[in-house]
Amino acid sequence: MKFLIQIIATIIVCFLLQTFLPWWTLAIGALAVSFAVGNKSGASFAAGFVGVGILWFGMAYYIDQTTHSILTEKVNKLLPLNSLLITTLIGGLVGGFAALTGALLKQK
Amino acid sequence: MKLVKPFISLSITIALVYFLNNSWNFGSPIPPLGKFVDPFHGFWQNAETGTVSDQEVNLPGLKDKVTVVYDSALIPHLYASNNSDLYYAQGYVTAQHRLWQMEFQTHAAAGRISEIAGAAALDFDRNQRRLGMVLGAENSLKMIKADPEIEEAVKAYTAGINAYINQLNDEKLPIEYKLMGYRPEPWTDLKVGLFLMNMAKTLNSGENDIELTNALKTFGKETLDLLFPDREPVSDPIVDNEGGWKFKPVTLDSIPAIEPLEVVSIKPVEKQPKNIGSNNWAVSGKKTASGSPILCSDPHLGLTMPSIWYAIHLNGPGVNTMGASFPGSPCVIIGFNDSIAWGPTNAQRDLVDWYKITFKDNTKNEYLSDGQWKATKKIIEKFSIKGKPDFYDTIVLTHLGPVTYDESYHADKQNKHYAYRWIAHDGGNILRTFYEFNRGNNHSDYMKALDHYYFPAQNFAFASVAGDIAIRIQGKYPLRRKDEGKFVLDGSKTSSEWKAFIPFDQNVMIKNPERGFVSSANQYPVDGSYPYFVHSSQWEHYRNRRVNRVLSEMNNITPQQMMQLQNDNYNIQAEEYLPLLIDGVQSFNLKEDEKKAVDMMKTWNYTNDAEGTAPSYFEAWLEELQLSIWDEMVDSKVSLPKPSEYMTWWLLKNNPDLSFYDHQKTPEKENRNDIITMGLQRAIERVSKWEKDHGRKADWAYFKDSFVRHLLRLESFSVHAINGGNPNTLNASRGGWGPSWRMVVSLEKTGIKAWGVYPGGQSGNPGSPYYENFIAPWEKAQPLQLKFEGAPSALTSSALFTTTLTPASK
Repeated sequence: MKFLIQIIATIIVCFLLQTFLPWWTLAIGALAVSFAVGNKSGASFAAGFVGVGILWFGMAYYIDQTTHSILTEKVNKLLPLNSLLITTLIGGLVGGFAALTGALLKQK
Repeated sequence: MKLVKPFISLSITIALVYFLNNSWNFGSPIPPLGKFVDPFHGFWQNAETGTVSDQEVNLPGLKDKVTVVYDSALIPHLYASNNSDLYYAQGYVTAQHRLWQMEFQTHAAAGRISEIAGAAALDFDRNQRRLGMVLGAENSLKMIKADPEIEEAVKAYTAGINAYINQLNDEKLPIEYKLMGYRPEPWTDLKVGLFLMNMAKTLNSGENDIELTNALKTFGKETLDLLFPDREPVSDPIVDNEGGWKFKPVTLDSIPAIEPLEVVSIKPVEKQPKNIGSNNWAVSGKKTASGSPILCSDPHLGLTMPSIWYAIHLNGPGVNTMGASFPGSPCVIIGFNDSIAWGPTNAQRDLVDWYKITFKDNTKNEYLSDGQWKATKKIIEKFSIKGKPDFYDTIVLTHLGPVTYDESYHADKQNKHYAYRWIAHDGGNILRTFYEFNRGNNHSDYMKALDHYYFPAQNFAFASVAGDIAIRIQGKYPLRRKDEGKFVLDGSKTSSEWKAFIPFDQNVMIKNPERGFVSSANQYPVDGSYPYFVHSSQWEHYRNRRVNRVLSEMNNITPQQMMQLQNDNYNIQAEEYLPLLIDGVQSFNLKEDEKKAVDMMKTWNYTNDAEGTAPSYFEAWLEELQLSIWDEMVDSKVSLPKPSEYMTWWLLKNNPDLSFYDHQKTPEKENRNDIITMGLQRAIERVSKWEKDHGRKADWAYFKDSFVRHLLRLESFSVHAINGGNPNTLNASRGGWGPSWRMVVSLEKTGIKAWGVYPGGQSGNPGSPYYENFIAPWEKAQPLQLKFEGAPSALTSSALFTTTLTPASK
């Protein structure tokens, strides 16, 4: 349950932060949520990864669909991996490590 | 001890964020990935649906309301109540669609690409500054500042661009900035001058002075005159007014002809490909179906994404004009208004000289001029390079111009110094010309407007609703004695300097000629009775004859026929060359596939259409032939010029025993027919290899590849067009060059009708549906009808959306 709560809270907090502030503030959001919820390290990392991953994938997928992939295909050729995948992975990684940090700080 | 784990985890998080927030270069550049893929601010936000709702934007510095209606092609129609607001809005609207391109191209002009692209661009940047690009832009700006109306237009344009930059948020930052990890700097008035210097460089740098000097020293005067005659034996000049030049020409003291001193063994910076140029023509009402003149303009330039052109309609007090504008300069550059239409082609004239400079010593503080030592001026140029320490270059200025080549730049062993003299260094207020064109009513206004036009020299075609047609070859031309300017000059003697200019009223021009049309296609400008020495090493030989041949036979002309003619693929070069080549082939030497290719070319109709392989074989043959005949030049250690394709044909025809036919690398001595056969065999090898590599037949469109390339050379932002043509056909489309703005204007008394298209789209954003939507109509030569309406209400039913710009309350 706490795992799910962390994911949902991460999505909401990071969405709000990102709407107004630069992308890296999501790390602060994921860290704070993880600290507040207090999952174990492994679960925290996973929840941070999944939370931000879902947020970034969802937003990117929504844009991709509403614009008929007009830019996605062009950018896919610029990047080594599919751009939706890269977006999800990058968001997830930063979210995951930030959440892990939050969990470890709480456990000290 | 409990802090170790969180500390490590925090460090990893911070390092990750730092890595993803910055650009890197590990062999190939990596964008700031986190920022770039962030779906809230990164590239995703550049994806557009194209639908925008009407909106109102408050802008500081605007005096009154400006209504901007975007028509179905995303062409903005600007309605303003004063001049300042009109150009402010032009700057704002253009920046909204083309900001990255505007900044990139002016950075290129100023020699600042290394700031964005790193050390690979340093040689280019140094060349720009050593050619005096900034110097010319600064001098032009001085002249603009002395002209209140133009200064107001430029200042307002700058303010409009900056208003856009100031309100630009991270989301809407053009994708190229996101990719390369930088942000736009404020626009300046100087950038308008810099943009125009780019055009001047493209259009003036086809000179061959260094190469011709080396040819003279290597082959001697007789051979030089044979291969590079002042006037090639082909003539259909822009203005044929034999005996009609009834003015008293300005003359210079005669001095004994001075031979250039020595071979110049520097490696000149690579130039634009040959055969760039343009077509324009105007037919009088006598020859048209409507009884009104039709003007056609079709400048051939480097085809880029985003395009060099941005279509726009400007409406304000005393001005109602539409056409193509430069993203980087106010006014409409090629277009029409309620009364007149105009369009330029490049005049090709030699407006550049190289002077050998003799310094007193290594300090380069003084140089020789008529026996006196004159002081130099030195400028220390700083180059910021992305990812590297700054680079400093000292540029030495003489009264003849900046020293471009010296031991630190493109030198080859010898310590020689060459200064660059270019008409564009002197500056010019050429925006005054376009400002007046935009407001002109008749032929006399057109003539007055052209009196302000200095460089780059152009053949300006003109037509008016009143029924006049005209062409004037306008520019500031240094007065030259015979052969002057062809070779590198001795900078230590003032007798070879530019002393005077041809008076503007003695420039080549004609109004309402007997034949009922005017035309130009970069050919030799004038009949032999014109009293001035005219030189260029890049006259055009084929398109001009084609357009004149067709127009003189046509009557009851319609605009649709003119669109077809702009897309004409008939190749006079092939018509002349092919019978000669086929006649010269030694068929007993040919293999089966070679015989087949010859047979196919025999039945070819000399038309470079998109489908069909005959043009591919012919073009490959011609190229291989040039390379084999002129191998003496191609393989030379010093830089030498190649004769034109036209002269090669003429020599093959009239000079069967030329020593150049012998191929240097073979032990045998080849004659003319040997080299023709050898060229054919190599061409067929090349085409076969191409077919194998590409897995398809070498249809002409695919073999030549019309490539509209993104300015950053990113394949995925570029477009390959499928069309016919080549540089010698009116549809002068090949590789990265071609028709850049096809415009047809019918100047009817009941209202102007006009069409236009360019390869690209109004939006510079690869994520917009309007990024490349003009490519298809451009390929098919189906220009869009331009909606030239005097009031916004006439447009709104077919408009995409309307933006109202209003002054921000103080």
